[in-house]
Amino acid sequence: MVVKGLLYTKDHEWAKIEGDVAIIGITDHAQNQLGELTFVELPDVGKEIKQKGELAVVESSKAASDVYSPVTGKVIEANAKLEKNPEIVNDDCYDAGWICKIRITDKATTKNLMDTAQYEEYLKGL
Amino acid sequence: MAEKLTAGTFIFSPPASSPVGSVLYNEHLKLTDKSHIAEFAGYLMPLWYSSIGEEHSAVRKRAGIFDCTHMGALEVAGPNAESFLDAVTTNNIRTLQVGSAQYSYLLDAAGNILDDIIVYRREKEKFMVVVNASNEPKAKAYLAALNAGKAKIDLAKPDRKIKTAPVRDMRDTKTGPDCRVDIAIQGPASPDVLCKLADASVAQQIKMLKSFTFCQAKLANIDCIISRTGYTGAKVCFELFVHPQKAAELWQKLIDAGALPCGLGARDSLRVEAGLPLYGHELAGPYNISPFEAGYGWAVKLDKEFFVGKAAMEKIANSFNMKVTRLELSGEKGIRPVRQNDAIICEGTCVGWVLSSATAGTRQIALVYIDKDKATEGNSVGVYYLARSESQISKGRKQAVKKGERINEDIQGKVISRFEKF
Repeated sequence: MVVKGLLYTKDHEWAKIEGDVAIIGITDHAQNQLGELTFVELPDVGKEIKQKGELAVVESSKAASDVYSPVTGKVIEANAKLEKNPEIVNDDCYDAGWICKIRITDKATTKNLMDTAQYEEYLKGL
Repeated sequence: MAEKLTAGTFIFSPPASSPVGSVLYNEHLKLTDKSHIAEFAGYLMPLWYSSIGEEHSAVRKRAGIFDCTHMGALEVAGPNAESFLDAVTTNNIRTLQVGSAQYSYLLDAAGNILDDIIVYRREKEKFMVVVNASNEPKAKAYLAALNAGKAKIDLAKPDRKIKTAPVRDMRDTKTGPDCRVDIAIQGPASPDVLCKLADASVAQQIKMLKSFTFCQAKLANIDCIISRTGYTGAKVCFELFVHPQKAAELWQKLIDAGALPCGLGARDSLRVEAGLPLYGHELAGPYNISPFEAGYGWAVKLDKEFFVGKAAMEKIANSFNMKVTRLELSGEKGIRPVRQNDAIICEGTCVGWVLSSATAGTRQIALVYIDKDKATEGNSVGVYYLARSESQISKGRKQAVKKGERINEDIQGKVISRFEKF
């Protein structure tokens, strides 16, 4: 399942751009592959991050997986609810299961992301 | 840690090949998304269908079925079959009755475990040896080398000879009409499921089967070897060995009769919870763990006159000082799961490592390899998480911890019984 209006990475992160802020999460494909999440390591607020830099770690009982930042910027908020309830990512990865918000410092980094149609096409090729 | 043995080591390099679908691959595609199918031991196998937790629970409370058609099934037959198997496996084949099965090991002359196996005696001179999928090419090559006189048998007596016996790949339909692949059905309701597919006399036979015994009978008019064996710890468990061309039909009939398909994920979490070893983790593997350390010394019969690897086993039996046991930790949501090679910490010192781990309900169970004197049930020990990402490494988290290294634990755990008492 994909959602319209978001931008996507090849590593299955999504970004929702609202002005100069990007809300970041992992896609349905990613949560589906990981299985039931039991732990999310959130980024520290204030962390400066480059596009494709390590943003968070999500773990299920079977695998640990890095979440990479879709954009370059600074973390301004993290979804603390995920610390106690990581399964929210499985249940609602595009909304309540968001991971963090990043203030974009390099707007150009949003240009090389896939749109919904491109990501759907990318998933078909996997 | 057992020293790495080199003289007499059987060296096998598997030919490179791309993964193939298991015999039941098309059935899996009907039941789950392709993204839940992954390569395992050269086969494309389902990781889970619904969820690992649901499937785990189905086996504990009802009945689950597993595609084990990737596991090797080798036939050893002929007048020398007993003698050959007695020399090349560690358990006592001579006491194995027709209709019974036995857990055992294939060792090389250096004492390295090549595989842990189950030997089924189908007739006085006909055995079925079930081997791990990941070790099947190696086990086949090793038995062939032993038969050809090309593998070392006894380092102390290089001129020792053993009797030879032909080995047939029972999964290969080119080798004859009696071919077999394994479908497991595990859990308390499995007899009910099987009896729905059985006539009255077969149902009676199934109910009479004791652990590690088997019979040959028809289920839904399909010829099966029905064995009371398994890899989930379930007290009531069966493996069905069926012709590969009948496997899909039997699989569907088992589902229709009420069994839940379970993937590799639940297979692993069930066996970890039960305390059962997996080759490469709790046996052999990077720590070169022997059967004695794994808790299976009883399957290595040192009172036998000879078996390949006996000298090395005699040495290890009296000298090991680490062992495999189970650790219980919180498995609540939001607790970082422990993983393979994470360090076991006792009073601020590393005393061993995690070998395997799984979530079972709200518990995490880890199989760990630790100093024998720390493995007492009830003993409090902790775990240090190794780095899972580059950013953790940059913050100073270690990628490996050595025995004896001083370091603080991240999470508390408790040593529990070696095996789960269900």
